[in-house]
Amino acid sequence: MEASLLDEMGWVPYIGSKYAPHTGEPVTARDIRRYALAIDDINPIFFDREAAKKGKYGGLAAPLNYFSWSVGVPGAEKPTSELGEDGLSSFVGVPEIPNAFDLGWMRGGEEIEHFKPVYEGDCVTVTGEVVDMKEKHGKSGTLIFVTSVFEYRNQDGDLLVKHTVTMIATPRKD
Amino acid sequence: MSDQVFFEDVAVGQEIPLLTKSVNTVNINMYCAVVWLMDRIHFDYPFSVERRGLPNIVAPGNMACDYYTQLLNDWIGDQGVLKKLTVQYRNFMLPGNTLSCGGRITAVEANGVTGTVDLELWIKNEDGVTCVPGTARIELPARANQ
Repeated sequence: MEASLLDEMGWVPYIGSKYAPHTGEPVTARDIRRYALAIDDINPIFFDREAAKKGKYGGLAAPLNYFSWSVGVPGAEKPTSELGEDGLSSFVGVPEIPNAFDLGWMRGGEEIEHFKPVYEGDCVTVTGEVVDMKEKHGKSGTLIFVTSVFEYRNQDGDLLVKHTVTMIATPRKD
Repeated sequence: MSDQVFFEDVAVGQEIPLLTKSVNTVNINMYCAVVWLMDRIHFDYPFSVERRGLPNIVAPGNMACDYYTQLLNDWIGDQGVLKKLTVQYRNFMLPGNTLSCGGRITAVEANGVTGTVDLELWIKNEDGVTCVPGTARIELPARANQ
């Protein structure tokens, strides 16, 4: 029986814990246009309101995968002096659990269920919960999988996206 | 609407048209700037290579979801709906990579006015390495209901 890193970290009681809800500012035409340029998806529905009106979303909407960014990254907008050396202050998908950043984190995978797009002017709110933690012992050492489910809603309370994120924590090598 | 794909047009085993994406530092920088992503591994070469042991700076993994969204939306047209996308991050997408994004239909189910279609998805680099495998569920209109 190998020692449990999950037990050692004391994280199991945090399964079921909730993330603080967070609401973004209104999404702008500029946000939508620049995001489309960044992902190099040059569909006129992201650049031209008339084309957008005639297009599949019936109005100016962001590329679907913009949903999480429409809220912003809670905790990321901090003075440089308050950021870690790696440029980060916190990770999306990592809950407030003790000594979280004693381990290194990476994104393992995600499931994105779309119900409605994010439109220009929307203020999107995210809520979330830690639904599962498990541990695996592999060739590269111990891995902890932390799965969270987030729900994104617009200002009318309409569900836009149900987002399941699995983050992987592993002892740091540096 | 002339190039709308309908449920009756698809079958299990069929591959959808490939989408090619070039990963470069300019697009990575645009992405990080527009979403305020300040993780140094996306823009700081010495940090990424010397401190994190990565081969280069790396594209944000999330961009794979954007590539798949474009791949699917380009194919399903105005009347198709992307319902669900699932991805697993396996290998980094690096500047200089030319990525082939593709999909193959694994299941179809008629649903009255629409049909549900499941796909397996892949993003492969020029060496044939799968970076971010995935699956998707989409809805296509039925020609019978047009």
